[in-house]
Amino acid sequence: MRSDQTSLPQFVSKKIRVEEAIGTTLAHDITEIKPGLFKGPSFRRGQRIQSEDLCHLMRLGKRHLYILDLDDDHVHEDQAVLELAQALAGPGITFGSQPNEGKLALKAVYDGLLKINVDALVAFNLLPDVMCASRHNNTPVKAGTLLAGTRAIPLAIERAALDQALKISQRNHPMIAVKSYQQVRAGLIITGSEVYDGLIEDRFETIVAGKLSAYGSTLVDRVILPDDQPRIADAVKTFIERGLDLIVTTGGMSVDPDDVTRHAIRQAGVAEIYYSSGVLPGAMFQLAYQDDIPILGIPACALYHRVTIFDLILPRLLAGEHPDNRDLAALAHGGLCLNCRTCKYPDCSFGKF
Amino acid sequence: MDDFEILLKGSSEAHGHLCPGQVIGVRMAMLGCELIGLDKPSQLPQIKSLIVYVEIDRCATDAIAFVTGARLGRRSLKLVNNGIMAATFVNLDSGKAFRIRARETSRKLVAEYAPEVADERQQQLLAYKNMPLDHLFEVQAVAVDVPYNDLPGPTRFKNECESCGVIVRDKREIYKNDQVLCRICAGDSYFKGRT
Repeated sequence: MRSDQTSLPQFVSKKIRVEEAIGTTLAHDITEIKPGLFKGPSFRRGQRIQSEDLCHLMRLGKRHLYILDLDDDHVHEDQAVLELAQALAGPGITFGSQPNEGKLALKAVYDGLLKINVDALVAFNLLPDVMCASRHNNTPVKAGTLLAGTRAIPLAIERAALDQALKISQRNHPMIAVKSYQQVRAGLIITGSEVYDGLIEDRFETIVAGKLSAYGSTLVDRVILPDDQPRIADAVKTFIERGLDLIVTTGGMSVDPDDVTRHAIRQAGVAEIYYSSGVLPGAMFQLAYQDDIPILGIPACALYHRVTIFDLILPRLLAGEHPDNRDLAALAHGGLCLNCRTCKYPDCSFGKF
Repeated sequence: MDDFEILLKGSSEAHGHLCPGQVIGVRMAMLGCELIGLDKPSQLPQIKSLIVYVEIDRCATDAIAFVTGARLGRRSLKLVNNGIMAATFVNLDSGKAFRIRARETSRKLVAEYAPEVADERQQQLLAYKNMPLDHLFEVQAVAVDVPYNDLPGPTRFKNECESCGVIVRDKREIYKNDQVLCRICAGDSYFKGRT
């Protein structure tokens, strides 16, 4: 980002004969016009002139060129952005070797959870003459997807300014990273007397299994129980004893007298429990941990809404994080699903902050 | 660049035998280098300008490596195993890149281009020598943004696996459970240890 006080780029340009241009760097675009066919830059500012370019330049009537003649205190934008990208790219991030108009795109090497050091990113962008724009922290991303773009703003950046940006990136490493998911074996406890008695058919199993498998995890065990607190508590204990990595309970998260699931989880001896989140849909969500095994309580909204709090928390758990009540509250900013006719999640504001 | 027959002889010796794949590989590599403006790809300074992506690990791949001088250990030869007889030739300096794919239809033209040969393999071999390039190959101009961590040259990225301590180069590490891990420790292994 450039402040008003920052001086203009101080690169030096020099006029040379075309014949002497091989290996030099152009200081300006060169436009070519082919009547009826093409008008545009045939050579771009910052381009290195190759031997095969000389005839082309001559044909365009060029006998002299302005080239960049950088002193030791300045770095060309293409070199600068490679240094910036190297410093910004943490594990799970790659970038190309050919800057495009001085910019480089940072992409995911593998599927996972995007992690951005937001404070450091802001500090980076407060520096003169550099910038980096990213997607939101905690976005689930696929291999190869674009995550961030960075560039040096002037054609030639002062070495000292570039070094300052590199220092911020290195001090806060990793600024941008992708956390890989664990493949967990999960158990599902479907609660509700109406389902247990066969009055309505369960739809949670398909939903939960599908969302787990999208991240490479597997639903390996499932039980349907009535709204019976001791029986639900026993099922939680059984799943923990069986060594499952993650437990999902559905239903019974509200405040009605028959909603006993969240109480049953406490009765199972689970001590670390966080109830309610700043997310719609998903206000009556419960997140608990027993010996680091997450136990999620999904409210009935997950039956009706394609995306809920479950979709925000699951990837973070699979990425090895341990969200708590502070995290559930922080989701409030951006935690409102707009119920769009065509859902574009995760490419929307839901869950971003 | 050397003459086709000289390159084919050298390629066959390096590969271990003369086969139709050698003919295809040598011709593909010669065409690829010509398209991206390299006439001495295996010599300095051009050796530093070339990257070749091969899409199959069969006979032709060795021929391409022989003609171009591209090598795995030099990081100039990349295997993207699509199981397709194709390769992309990239000039890092100019950005020019061409993907060349062997046409399946060339197999059906073998008799036409070597009618005098009875033996099937020998007929293929001769026909692929005689066949015009546009019958043998499909050529496509492409753009390849070679990842910075895949470039030849000195190691630019090193990370120590927080589980086993091995050094992982070139951004092949995995960030899992708040640890930077080698792929083996992250559970992404092609082998199983024996006890």
